[in-house]
Amino acid sequence: MPLLDIKNLTLEIDTAGGRVKALDKVNLTIDESEIRALVGESGSGKSLIVKSIVGAINDSWTLTADRLNWKGSDLLAMSKEQRRKITKDDIAVIFQNPVSSLDPTASLGEQLEENIPDHLVGKGWFWQRQEKRKQIVSRQLHKVGIKNHELCLSSFPHQISDDVCQKFMIAMALVSEPKLLIADEPTMGMETTIKSQILKLLSRLNQNRNLSILFVSHDLLAISSMCHSMTVLYCGQTVESGRMTNLRKRPLHPYTKALLDSAPSFSKDLLPKSNLSALDGTIPTLQHLPIGCRLGPRCPRAQKECVKIPAPRHIHNHYYSCHFPLHRPLK
Amino acid sequence: MSFYFLRRLNLLVFTLFMLAMASFGLAYLFPGDYLTNLTGIHFESEQQRQLYATLYKESDGVFWQFIAYLDLLWQGEWGQSFSSNQPLYQEVTTYLPASIELSAYALFVSLVVGIPLGFLAGLRHNKLADYSILSMSFIGYSIPVFWLALILILILSLQMGWFPISGRISLLYYIPLDTGFILIDIIRSDVSYKWDAFNDALRHLFLPTLSISIVTSTIILRITRRSVIEVMGSEYIKAATARGLNRYQVILRHGIRNTIIPIMPQLALQFTTLLTNAMIVESIFSWPGIGNWLIQAIYQGDYPSIRSGMLAVSSLVVIFTVSIDIVHKIIDPQRLYRQRVKI
Ligand SMILES: Nc1ncnc2c1ncn2[C@@H]1O[C@H](COP(=O)(O)OP(=O)(O)OP(=O)(O)O)[C@@H](O)[C@H]1O
Ligand code: SF4
Ligand SMILES: [Mg+2]
Repeated sequence: MPLLDIKNLTLEIDTAGGRVKALDKVNLTIDESEIRALVGESGSGKSLIVKSIVGAINDSWTLTADRLNWKGSDLLAMSKEQRRKITKDDIAVIFQNPVSSLDPTASLGEQLEENIPDHLVGKGWFWQRQEKRKQIVSRQLHKVGIKNHELCLSSFPHQISDDVCQKFMIAMALVSEPKLLIADEPTMGMETTIKSQILKLLSRLNQNRNLSILFVSHDLLAISSMCHSMTVLYCGQTVESGRMTNLRKRPLHPYTKALLDSAPSFSKDLLPKSNLSALDGTIPTLQHLPIGCRLGPRCPRAQKECVKIPAPRHIHNHYYSCHFPLHRPLK
Repeated sequence: MSFYFLRRLNLLVFTLFMLAMASFGLAYLFPGDYLTNLTGIHFESEQQRQLYATLYKESDGVFWQFIAYLDLLWQGEWGQSFSSNQPLYQEVTTYLPASIELSAYALFVSLVVGIPLGFLAGLRHNKLADYSILSMSFIGYSIPVFWLALILILILSLQMGWFPISGRISLLYYIPLDTGFILIDIIRSDVSYKWDAFNDALRHLFLPTLSISIVTSTIILRITRRSVIEVMGSEYIKAATARGLNRYQVILRHGIRNTIIPIMPQLALQFTTLLTNAMIVESIFSWPGIGNWLIQAIYQGDYPSIRSGMLAVSSLVVIFTVSIDIVHKIIDPQRLYRQRVKI
């Protein structure tokens, strides 16, 4: 049984032009101790998926799903309190914009300590527990590479630089020892050396502690080095998902291929000075979504049938949603 | 930070200076002899006038006259009232505390009523409780203060007889004047009827306080509600929820502080609105405050009183506003801890 199993998740949100399906029948699974990458262009809805999983969406949006299961039990069907317990104990999330997801009027120490679950603190007098909390907190900060933990803990969110803030968010997510870590662009804007430290830390936690990770990123290089499987999102629709190796070797969806080709360091057999390939046009806005396959207007293989939404098909556990996948020659 | 204080202080001094200038100008603009308007004395002989003319430097041109005026203001020589012939400094310092007292209690009541209701409405945004509180507040906001005061007198005093109609305390009780704030004076006095007097003063306070605090409560309610809605929709509240805090923990630990801190100056500034409303209500309840006193002065054409009364009230408002601004800067962590730290 997968840890997290999402089937046909649809999220309708209000925009200036009326209600639109910002996420349309998204499928995503995360197995135990798996690192899954979620990739897609900016605006494709990655962060919305993250928010949907942990329930941090606006009250006015409608979320429907055939399944949104955590270890087999449906998160949407259970009581609020049960769901809260699961998100508290088992799921931790690093939101994309770290500064705005911290309380501006509370010190970082306060906010970090708040996340330590009681069972890690243990029993004792309150000063003993406080002492224990301090220990946990400083150890966690050292792990993510914040050396001056005293100063960090007594600061307020607007005082620290963005990359320290990002590291702090990672510490805050990991301090509750979750089973699943959802990291929305956790290394964005970091220096390369710090970035590789963080990625190493995450891989290590994955191997030693069976931490499952949903890794949302643009960074294909980082993804290919640490992720086991990948889900590709375009415009709120999942276009392809499967094992990392299969996807890299033989992408079936035209969008995945374009995405992989667009990262030069990623495609090995690139001739020097050859043109970088990219799809024509840009990702459509939510107000002007094409009907059927949303890639349609930009897709080199598009045909008449593409105005109908392609159903997901699969070869073993390699899923794709396309009428004319790459392994079938065009008529 | 110190630059900020300097700027505020500069603004304060400059505004007070302008106010003093305006009040000085009034002495010229009011009908009659300008020296009479400044001193409040109808001179009986040329000699007497000459005495004051040298004091106010009449022969030295407007600029030096103004400097002399400032100097005298500073020394508490504000002239005297036409009607009572009492020194104005004393008059103002007796009547102003009564108004401040009334406004302060009304502000307290409005905060105690407005903030919790604002939270309730904001947390139940777009639900029944929100709509009912909001519509009630609209009704409260639309009622004119003087009309409300009259209705309250009509029902609660005249028909029910629960509360006294006018004044600050019953004539039965003599309370020596000390701070000018009646409740404090009663507590500090050592008369035998202390608690009876206190009770009586409270009953006198009830209606005026109620009539001016209703409008302010609705304003505070709506300021709070808007802030609550904004904070509860913010990313960090969603993030705190996503970390598994329950609703009460989220509100207690992250909601309240973030709601109150940004609106604190707005809330405190309601004091100035209250002071203006208090002036209206004072004359209805014959409350011996500065508003009532000023209106009497206007009726009697008591120019020195009008001049110094307006100067005193406007200075108070300006000083209060600037102090609130400074206090807010001091306690807001976002400003207090502005330096970035290097970690
Ligand atoms: N609160 C919101 N209100 C209205 N529209 C929103 C909101 N949040 C996101 N959207 C829209 O939903 C779409 C998907 O946004 P999302 O933030 O999930 O993209 P993303 O894939 O995370 O992009 P990025 O890589 O830039 O983070 C975008 O078109 C965005 O405009
Ligand atoms: S369904 Fe058609 S438009 Fe969509 S990706 Fe496949 S070929 Fe292109
Ligand atoms: Mg995003």
